[in-house]
Amino acid sequence: MFTSQRVLAYVVSLSLATHAVAQDAEEETEVPGGPTSSEAQIDVGDRQAVQTPTFSATPQPSDDPAPGDWPAWGRESSASRHSPLDEITPDNVSELEVAWTYRTGDMPEEGEGKYAPETTPLKVGDNLYLCSAMNVMVSLDARTGEEQWRYDPQVDPGAIPYSASCRGVTYYEVPDAADDQACATRIIEGTLDARLIAVDAQTGELCQAFGDGGTVDLWTGIGEKVPGWYAVTAPPVIVQDVLVTGAQVKDGQAEDAPSGVIRGYDAVTGELEWAWDMGNPNVDGLPPEGETYTRGTPNMWTTASSDEALGYVYLPMGNSSVDYWGGNRSEEENEFSTSLVAIDVNTGEPVWHFQTVHYDVWDYDLGSQPTLVDFPRDDGSTVPAIILPSKQGDIYVLNRETGESLFPVEEVEAPTGGAEPDNLSPTQPRSGYHSLAFPNLEEKDMWGMTPIDQLWCRIQFRRASYKGMYTPPTVGQRFIQYPGYNGGNDWGSAAVDAERGIIIANYNDIPNFNRLIPREEAEERNLQPIYAGGDNTDSEADGPAEGAGDPQVGAPYAIDVNAGWRAPITGMPCTAPPYGGIRAIDLASGETLWDEPLGTARKNGPFGIPSHMPFKIGTPNNGGPLLTASGLIFIAAATDDLIRAIDTETGEVLWNDVLPAGGQANPITYEADGRQYVVIGAGGHHFMETPIGDYVIAYALPEDGN
Amino acid sequence: MGLPSALDSNKPRTTEVLGLATDNASRSVGGWFLLVFAIILVILGLILAAGGIWLVTLGGSWYYLIAGLGLIISGGLMARDSLTGVWVYCLVLFGTLIWALWEVGLSPWELLPRVFGYIVLGAIVLALLPALKRRQATL
Repeated sequence: MFTSQRVLAYVVSLSLATHAVAQDAEEETEVPGGPTSSEAQIDVGDRQAVQTPTFSATPQPSDDPAPGDWPAWGRESSASRHSPLDEITPDNVSELEVAWTYRTGDMPEEGEGKYAPETTPLKVGDNLYLCSAMNVMVSLDARTGEEQWRYDPQVDPGAIPYSASCRGVTYYEVPDAADDQACATRIIEGTLDARLIAVDAQTGELCQAFGDGGTVDLWTGIGEKVPGWYAVTAPPVIVQDVLVTGAQVKDGQAEDAPSGVIRGYDAVTGELEWAWDMGNPNVDGLPPEGETYTRGTPNMWTTASSDEALGYVYLPMGNSSVDYWGGNRSEEENEFSTSLVAIDVNTGEPVWHFQTVHYDVWDYDLGSQPTLVDFPRDDGSTVPAIILPSKQGDIYVLNRETGESLFPVEEVEAPTGGAEPDNLSPTQPRSGYHSLAFPNLEEKDMWGMTPIDQLWCRIQFRRASYKGMYTPPTVGQRFIQYPGYNGGNDWGSAAVDAERGIIIANYNDIPNFNRLIPREEAEERNLQPIYAGGDNTDSEADGPAEGAGDPQVGAPYAIDVNAGWRAPITGMPCTAPPYGGIRAIDLASGETLWDEPLGTARKNGPFGIPSHMPFKIGTPNNGGPLLTASGLIFIAAATDDLIRAIDTETGEVLWNDVLPAGGQANPITYEADGRQYVVIGAGGHHFMETPIGDYVIAYALPEDGN
Repeated sequence: MGLPSALDSNKPRTTEVLGLATDNASRSVGGWFLLVFAIILVILGLILAAGGIWLVTLGGSWYYLIAGLGLIISGGLMARDSLTGVWVYCLVLFGTLIWALWEVGLSPWELLPRVFGYIVLGAIVLALLPALKRRQATL
């Protein structure tokens, strides 16, 4: 559990800290090369906020993972999604077979809500740790897949937002704990009903000393509790013993919605350390008596990354609770929405922020977990950087200490018009490093199965408002949003192979076909917000897609999103494939190395009937890649229910296997007992229309003879 | 509508099909398939032409209007047992191929909706050709 290396690092840093304390107990301490700490001495647990720039007082496994481990959602705090393991190589990957399959048992009850588990396990030591769609935490033997313990927080299905998802848990080792101390190592998750729960990593028992008997209620300070409106679906991040979490606020309900407040808790005690409420900078912890955190502000629903040495947490923010109309947004909301915000966990204050969309009325919230790299420069030096992919496709490379972009960022003139011509930003940033976006659509890009439905899509294209990227939302008339709100890059995030100097990013390439709905029409259609019992079952029986008839109460318009621009009757997208791809980007220059469609047509077809065509078409995808040192990419994500291995250098698919359910999750790789495993949570995804399941599947090379 | 029996007089019976006189007296099974198919072609042509007009008024491609007219003419002629109808169909098919390649090049997924349907219809035309030739011989 505690390697000698980690113990040594801890002992050294502890003696440094003690030395500093002995020298000058009362004085403010300053981190060399970093921000100053705040006026008051901040106690984090038992130690004081003294850091050195190279490592912290209590490094966690995620700050320096053992080669065979995967202790964080993106493998490590830097979120590289890269593993040093090399037993499985491009030469032998075709021999991969299923080593074991585990079923969590968490499946939807009849008519009880939509599932999209999106689960990625962690692997630390001998065990895997994961959460199921409804937040059941499970520990498995990493070698056999045998269940060690489970903890069911009994989340009510009424708390499901658009889907039951739990992308992962967080692993934490309490500093200075005796090995047999309860919860010396713990697993923490955020739940759909907005609780933080900590259990003992050995036993699955609640950590009684954490919060209130093991639970912290995130609804505190948020306001009236409406199940499903405020939920956590991403693993929290721990930086310098501060547990940081945001939450998902169900899109499009009302301007008066739960706050996007970001909060930091003591990872040992669960005590609230700070709160960052952009609408109320004076609020440091709980809001004033009788008040809530500022309602409806931009939130963070995805996974943050962190720099342990700097003490920064990097928050990819979304936009305000009403996505497609911004006339009532505050200055602060417009300042921080759709930005990467760096917060110093010792102060809870933003240090810098970088906005990727100004006045976002397209739901281009940042979904990708950014990756930290030591970015190589021409003169051989490196800059501590952070790579930020986005939904509109721009990939930015920023100095993670200062927020400055390492590459030119051009403010490009944006289209005008639409429902709020005076409010729109006249320009939008464009990354000079790389973009995953494609050229503007033309009439001939419309598609169908036959000339007739293709003709229909071409007519719709001509009738719609389209002015390229950032086409202003229009009322009544449809407007084309391309890229759509699923990206570009989304929560699957990008992976970085720093040795090879390659970024791997999968992306979507499919527009949305939207329309602002006048309030009278919204009322006629009875579009109700979630607090009035609305569940937006305005469209097909299969369950509404996100945005298909969202009321946007408080704004003069509701919104109708046709995600993927599906044609009537056939249900096929109106634009031509590929609808998604995977790309290799040269790290130093941002140049594309190769680009391939991701996914075959085997499970898709008109009228929802699988065509069983094994041809590569490029399907919409959700979920991300992992990279191995041997030069392999493992990724599922596409809607063909396959997991595949791709050669990092060439983009060639070297192996694939059929999953029993949709593979919309990030896979991991680890070593147990000298054998390398690749594990994926095959749980399916209701919005992506892949089969729902509760599988965790491990692949490995055959044991004999290899 | 009953089929004419062999006991009827040798004078061919004519009926109106879409305003065109055609001989149904001795229509074989193949002949009926031909007629139905020809009517389908006309209907498809009407749909394409109507949508095509709309697309043109929106500033879009002229292809669909032209192809639609071509199918109407082709179907109408084939309903009259005219071999020219087949030639017109070939014209629509090859014209479509050229247009499709011009619009999207050799992109398989993009060519699919533009071309595949016509190829299928073309195969049916070929299959019905003998019946049409037989009928034409009796005119």
